[in-house]
Amino acid sequence: MNDPNPRRILLAKTSLDGHWRGLSVVARALRDGGFHVIMGGMLTGQEIVRAAVDEDVDLVGLNVGGHVEVVVRVIGELRSARPDLPIFAGGVLPPSSCRRLGELGVETYPPGSSLEDIVTAARRLTGQTLG
Amino acid sequence: MTRPIPPVVASRSGIPLKASYGPDDVPESLRQHAHALPGEAPFHRGGFPQGYRTKPWRIFQLSGFGKPEDENERIKFLLKHGETGFLMEHDRNTADHLYNVDHPDVQARREDVGQTGAVMQSVREVAICLDGIPIESTYGHAGGAVVQHAPFALAAYWTVARRRGIPLEQLGGTGQSDFFLTYLGCVTKQQIPTAAGLRLNADIIEFCSRHAPKWVPVSIAGYNGGDTGLNAWQELGAVIANAIEYLDEVQRRGHLDMATAAYRVGGVNFRTTMDFFEDIAKLRAARKLWHDLLRERYGITDERALRLRIHIVTAGSMMTYTQPFNNIVRGTMMALSAVLGGTQSLGVSGYDEAISIPSEHAHQMSVRIQQILQHETNIGAVTDPLGGSYYVEALTAEMAERASGFAAEIAAHGGFLATLDSGWLHARARDNQVAWMAAEEEGRQKVVGVTDFREDHTPFEVDGFPGVNDAYDVAKARLDDVRRERHEAGAHAALKALERACRGTDNIMPRMLDALEAEVTLGEIGDLYRSVWGDWQTPELA
Repeated sequence: MNDPNPRRILLAKTSLDGHWRGLSVVARALRDGGFHVIMGGMLTGQEIVRAAVDEDVDLVGLNVGGHVEVVVRVIGELRSARPDLPIFAGGVLPPSSCRRLGELGVETYPPGSSLEDIVTAARRLTGQTLG
Repeated sequence: MTRPIPPVVASRSGIPLKASYGPDDVPESLRQHAHALPGEAPFHRGGFPQGYRTKPWRIFQLSGFGKPEDENERIKFLLKHGETGFLMEHDRNTADHLYNVDHPDVQARREDVGQTGAVMQSVREVAICLDGIPIESTYGHAGGAVVQHAPFALAAYWTVARRRGIPLEQLGGTGQSDFFLTYLGCVTKQQIPTAAGLRLNADIIEFCSRHAPKWVPVSIAGYNGGDTGLNAWQELGAVIANAIEYLDEVQRRGHLDMATAAYRVGGVNFRTTMDFFEDIAKLRAARKLWHDLLRERYGITDERALRLRIHIVTAGSMMTYTQPFNNIVRGTMMALSAVLGGTQSLGVSGYDEAISIPSEHAHQMSVRIQQILQHETNIGAVTDPLGGSYYVEALTAEMAERASGFAAEIAAHGGFLATLDSGWLHARARDNQVAWMAAEEEGRQKVVGVTDFREDHTPFEVDGFPGVNDAYDVAKARLDDVRRERHEAGAHAALKALERACRGTDNIMPRMLDALEAEVTLGEIGDLYRSVWGDWQTPELA
């Protein structure tokens, strides 16, 4: 909890839909879990890449409120710039969108996911725990 | 495997509950009104003595996606299946932000366009969306739920009506223009400051009072506060605080008599949730607080104004992603709560709410739920059937007291808009968001199919509604058409006239109507607003 050098997570919205309730609860849980959370707001793919690089983050969390193809494009842009940077996603994600992102190696946490699972995933993806 | 079920000892908003209630539990504040019947002041038992016998609640479902013609088709589908009013959603990307589709922020997310409503950048697209829909006889929601979008959305709808020869004086409908939506719940990337929004709403209220007597000019939507995190009494208290902000502004401007203004503002919206009795009590308390507010603060005695009208949307946030068919039961329970609370109109969220915008089937189920309640159960036969229940009366009194207290707290923090500007109201919502999630995670609040009774495999996967994939391209082509075909000097002059109205104190609605007639587009109006008023400083949300 008092890690002097906490892992850094960028949380960004891929769409222009501003619902923030889910994101707020997830951000709180990640902070309580010892992460440094940067709230990016509504960002385009290029803006997410810039924020991820500028903030030197260890993980990007994409909050999805729109079409999965927008998310796929954002993932592509992130992977081009920072191939090693892990990404996970949450928000309004129908089962087919979860499968689509899963095929790209992006874990998804749709509504009903537990905060504990999300924090555990964040630890694993930032190399704090094994497997 | 299930965990032991803890006893329920408090409502979802934290009101302690006894195991049973008796006559001594009803406080004096309500006992003095024990003999009031529905239709009698203070109206907690209902605004109208005959209730649903003379006026069934309106079946009124949120709808919209894709291109305007897709939305048109869905609206006709719902009307054919028995919807008795219709809601016309505009695309969030463009409408909520007042951007045309070629704005860089929209272009970067072009696949999102049309996911939550049709793109309508000019009257042409609104006309396509309304094609063949009898707006002269059907109550319509023109869009414009978002404050900065409302003048455009209303003027566009009214322009279509005028072209059909329907006098504005005879047109029934609403547009909401609600602060809770984008200043609290679903905050846009850019929007005008709250003070400018208040001015627009006051313009709409005054314009409708003179020219559109059947139109509900604004509708305070507590739903959007509730589903963001305000509990039941906070939602009600904030709605009252919002109404004070509107009515004080109308009074300050001095153009309207207060009874007329209060009647115009007195159609509001709440959500019902999965705390059945608490929400019934909320609606009963809302009518009493409205009556008390108008009499005590503004000295209004006109009974038409004193009777609050209520629209309910069942809480989308209560709809689960897993085991979505369970949501049909949740929708039914929340709808029943709304009806027993005496709502005037109702939208039931789709069973696929947590997955996507409603599919045709989910939409149809929402209508069917309402029809079954309306036609098969006989619950509409008697008004306020729970009146006189010790529990419901005691809970109504408690709800009224707590909501009044919350409204007073908002006043102490500078008023409703000040608590949006400062983020105070967001902080109240955030506290509950976190507490409610913790209750689920710690097993104190069960959610069937989510916290308990989960399945590893569901035989009934619902993948939601995919929408269409050509909304952006069609909207872009139509925008180009408007730019090419309109009379450019006329559009420019209309936009300048609108700008003068915005910078001055004249009501902007006549100039907005002129601008839309001249085919000024949504994005141009947005650019104008931004140049006149600048951007709202969004408070820290999370």
